Amino acid sequence: MHIMEGFLPSPWWQLWFIISAPFLIIGLYQLKRLFNEKRDTIPLLAVAGAFVFVLSSLKLPSVTGSCSHPTGTGLGAILFGPFVTSILGLIVLIYQALFLAHGGLTTLGANVFSMGIAGPLLAYGIYRGGMKVGLNIWVTVFLAAALADLFTYVVTSFQLALAFPAASGGIWASFLAFGTIFAITQVPLAIVEGVIIALVFKYIIAIRPDILVKLKVLSQSMVDRIRGSEA
Amino acid sequence: MENILDDYAHRNALRDVDTRLKLALGVGAILIGIFSTTPLSPLIIGLSMGVITVAIARIPFRLYIGLLAIPVSFAAMSGIVILFMTGGGDPLWTVTIFGFSFIMTTESLNLAVLVTCRTFGGMSSLFFISLTTPAVELFSVMRDLRLPKEFVDLSMLIYRYIFVLIGEAIAMHNAQVMRNGYSGFRRSIYAFSMLGAMLFIKAWEKGEALLVAMDARCYDGKLEVMEGERHLDPKGVVSVGCYLCFCSAITILCAGKNFF
Repeated sequence: MHIMEGFLPSPWWQLWFIISAPFLIIGLYQLKRLFNEKRDTIPLLAVAGAFVFVLSSLKLPSVTGSCSHPTGTGLGAILFGPFVTSILGLIVLIYQALFLAHGGLTTLGANVFSMGIAGPLLAYGIYRGGMKVGLNIWVTVFLAAALADLFTYVVTSFQLALAFPAASGGIWASFLAFGTIFAITQVPLAIVEGVIIALVFKYIIAIRPDILVKLKVLSQSMVDRIRGSEA
Repeated sequence: MENILDDYAHRNALRDVDTRLKLALGVGAILIGIFSTTPLSPLIIGLSMGVITVAIARIPFRLYIGLLAIPVSFAAMSGIVILFMTGGGDPLWTVTIFGFSFIMTTESLNLAVLVTCRTFGGMSSLFFISLTTPAVELFSVMRDLRLPKEFVDLSMLIYRYIFVLIGEAIAMHNAQVMRNGYSGFRRSIYAFSMLGAMLFIKAWEKGEALLVAMDARCYDGKLEVMEGERHLDPKGVVSVGCYLCFCSAITILCAGKNFF
């Protein structure tokens, strides 16, 4: 769910740029280090960015119809870590604004925060946490992708509520109102995205597990165990 | 996905106008719209940007109308919340749903109109940028702005691969549709995930091939791109300046004026 161009009034759109800035700077710093140390990851990062863009521009099979695009950033965060994903998210959001007319330029700061920073951080946290506790991998990936998607929309509602607080009940009442109205499309969407990303993960493990091992997403022993239990 | 606006940007009538001028016009209009406290000036910006895009840049009218439909669902949903949640002024209309009463007041109506007009003005200005400026030209502007070169390089590579992957995705999607891939909800989920996973693997293999190709051409972490000479057309600068001044004047003169 992107906030459209011109929707956020004046103090807020600048504020979200400022809030997003430290995360993007960390991401840029990590990117710079990648460019210097492990040059061979750059083309892979580029195709991953393109992949996130294409995935998020595909129409999801959805129950409710409108705005049914996956965010794809959950998968990015699991694979590349949250900060580099925030840079990918920034680039993808600029392209979405320019090529697909989703989102906008002044609202870019707010959208980067909800889609590129908040969601991926949560997805990454859930994935690493779930792996540590030894939760079933499909459940972990499902939770990471679905909750990241949900969290993105919760943050968006919060951003809108801050900008347009209700007359009675203030920010909280307005947050509930935005949250409820977006929940109609976003909750089924988050579940669908969770299922799909889990299945995508399954297919990747089945065909090219070496990619995941190389990115240190899974250890070789984990891959063997998963493939063993499948067979 | 069918409407990659970049395709149109490559063959619009303003293709040869300097990129900086087009960006100044689009971004300037967006900023005037967002700082405006009256719905009048974003409305004028929205309409005039639409006219400029369709009449001067010769973008097909039907495509443009279709594009305007994209932000409508978001604007409508959020507009309703603003309409009934914010307050102030005299109550105009009260609805009761599930025992909660929602009140629409003059000020909430004004705010909803203002925000909708701003979105309309902003989206039209954004459409102007996306429909007249090919992304390739944005990269040189990004470099002029001294953005980190890692960021610009990564953007260029991503840009290149978007089109490669879209081609792959369309081919795979067609193949799946021919095999009844999307004939039901359950099947759609499976087909879509398979598409996503195969796309990722294909993307990865392309990335590995790209690495070899770039190494073979002595890639040392810097992409050099040839850029043609650019000059600003004085007539264009004057007209863009006049347009922005006119919009600013309306914004300042009508500050705070509302329709209701």
